[in-house]
Amino acid sequence: MLRTFRGGLLIGLAFAAAIAAAAITYERYDTKTLKRTIRRGEVLCGVNQGLPGFSIPDDKGNWTGFDVDFCRAVAAAIFDDPKKIRFIPLDANERFKELQSRKIDILSRNSTWSMSRETSYDLYFPAVSYYDGQGFMVRDSRKSESALELDGAKVCVQNNTTTQLNLGDYFKTNNMKFEEKRFDKLDDVVKAYDSGDCDVLTADVSQLYALRLRLAKPGQSTILPDVISKEPLAPVVRQRDDDWMMIVKWTLYAMINAEELGITSANIDEALKSKKPDVMRLVGTEGAYGEVIGLPKDWAARVIRHVGNYGEVYERNVGQGSKLGIPRGLNQLWSAGGIQYAPPIR
Amino acid sequence: MRSASTTAWLYRFCQFAIAAGLMLSASPGFAQQPDVGDQPGLVADDSYELDPQFKKQVVLYRTTEPPGTIIISSAERHLYLIQGNGRALRYGIGVGRDGFQWQGLLNISKKAEWPDWTPPPEMIQRQPYLPRFMAGGPGNPLGARALYLGATVYRIHGTNRPDTIGTAVSSGCFRLVNADVADLYERVPVGTKVIVRQKPGL
Repeated sequence: MLRTFRGGLLIGLAFAAAIAAAAITYERYDTKTLKRTIRRGEVLCGVNQGLPGFSIPDDKGNWTGFDVDFCRAVAAAIFDDPKKIRFIPLDANERFKELQSRKIDILSRNSTWSMSRETSYDLYFPAVSYYDGQGFMVRDSRKSESALELDGAKVCVQNNTTTQLNLGDYFKTNNMKFEEKRFDKLDDVVKAYDSGDCDVLTADVSQLYALRLRLAKPGQSTILPDVISKEPLAPVVRQRDDDWMMIVKWTLYAMINAEELGITSANIDEALKSKKPDVMRLVGTEGAYGEVIGLPKDWAARVIRHVGNYGEVYERNVGQGSKLGIPRGLNQLWSAGGIQYAPPIR
Repeated sequence: MRSASTTAWLYRFCQFAIAAGLMLSASPGFAQQPDVGDQPGLVADDSYELDPQFKKQVVLYRTTEPPGTIIISSAERHLYLIQGNGRALRYGIGVGRDGFQWQGLLNISKKAEWPDWTPPPEMIQRQPYLPRFMAGGPGNPLGARALYLGATVYRIHGTNRPDTIGTAVSSGCFRLVNADVADLYERVPVGTKVIVRQKPGL
């Protein structure tokens, strides 16, 4: 009797331990994002609450922007429909926790990829979607063409930011003097520059183009081509769901490769008839590159048809087709003066 | 005198390329269309405001090509003069229509100020209203300067139609607004390396 009881207890304990282990595994390792997304019928995408060019809703709740389009691309790859998506606006503090607790499938919210972020939240940044970095806006009357010509300038900067630290480092490293004008709020930084209190305003390049639009005379200031810090913006997913991570990563790489191959939303039908091997592999008329990431053959063709290639998405949202008008710069393809580079699909 | 006639003779080739290209062009109705980019006699509007992306500006540009090299990106409608240290001086350009686009490496073989223009017979036939010869000057479609590309019929030249910058209307030549082509002319010597890049075909 006792023996049976003891045996039952052991079995029970083992069973409980197994459940606990499974629960812990469930807690830490989520490998079902694609399945859940397909069952749900939409991608849950965490975005910025409102950042012109990157993610912003209009008065009818339609979202547009570079980060928004990336999520639409993932929805297009999975559902052949970029509208099968729900955008969840998140502030900077909650964004990683919301992803960790599975409230969203992807975070596409102008988030800088750094080692501490990747490791401390058990997250993964699959690939860089936008190379941002700190730059300088100067008044044209200064006639500066390079950041190295800013010796002696009065520089407006937001207080207590890495931007402020980078500024000091850059001038010191290059043996230049400057007068720092610090403000707690970015609004005040812009006002001070606009009123002539300083010759130079420093912030991340993508931000500088947005701030320039707020000046009284935007046409009289230039953003220098120099980038002095690394702010690689990337989509974010949870660690240990390799299948989902692969989809997110290769969706971005497909868009970059499409631009390099000259495949656009306008010529995708022509591309589907192409006999060039690298075009055929991308659009799915050769090989089984969709299948290996759990998607149909034409996954990448769907992305390009519904959303466009990397260059189209860039120009429409933040480039020449937008109010911001940010030159491609670092985000130009590696073969055309920039550093945007995707491994090949083969 | 000799120099001027050589200029005219060379330009004839450039225009001949248009006609030849049109004959080979896939769309048969194309040859009926006038060359929107050519409007002889029209004096360039110097106050024309270019779209910001086509204004001359310094941009970030990484390349292994040495400073002083010209890189033309047809698809982007930009001409880059490499400055070194990861930057380039970028100008807006007008490029060849579809079917007149080519890619490769050349050198600037000759430079000319206010080049003359002699439209070839094929072009006269297509556009009978064109002059038989036009001396260089403000109303000339070749504009203020021409940079000759190797032994080819192609040129980097000015224009009397600044509104065609950013478009694809030429015969394969590259056009800049007159102020920009004059600026570029001063910066590059004969012998300058010119790399032309096209969007890849499908």
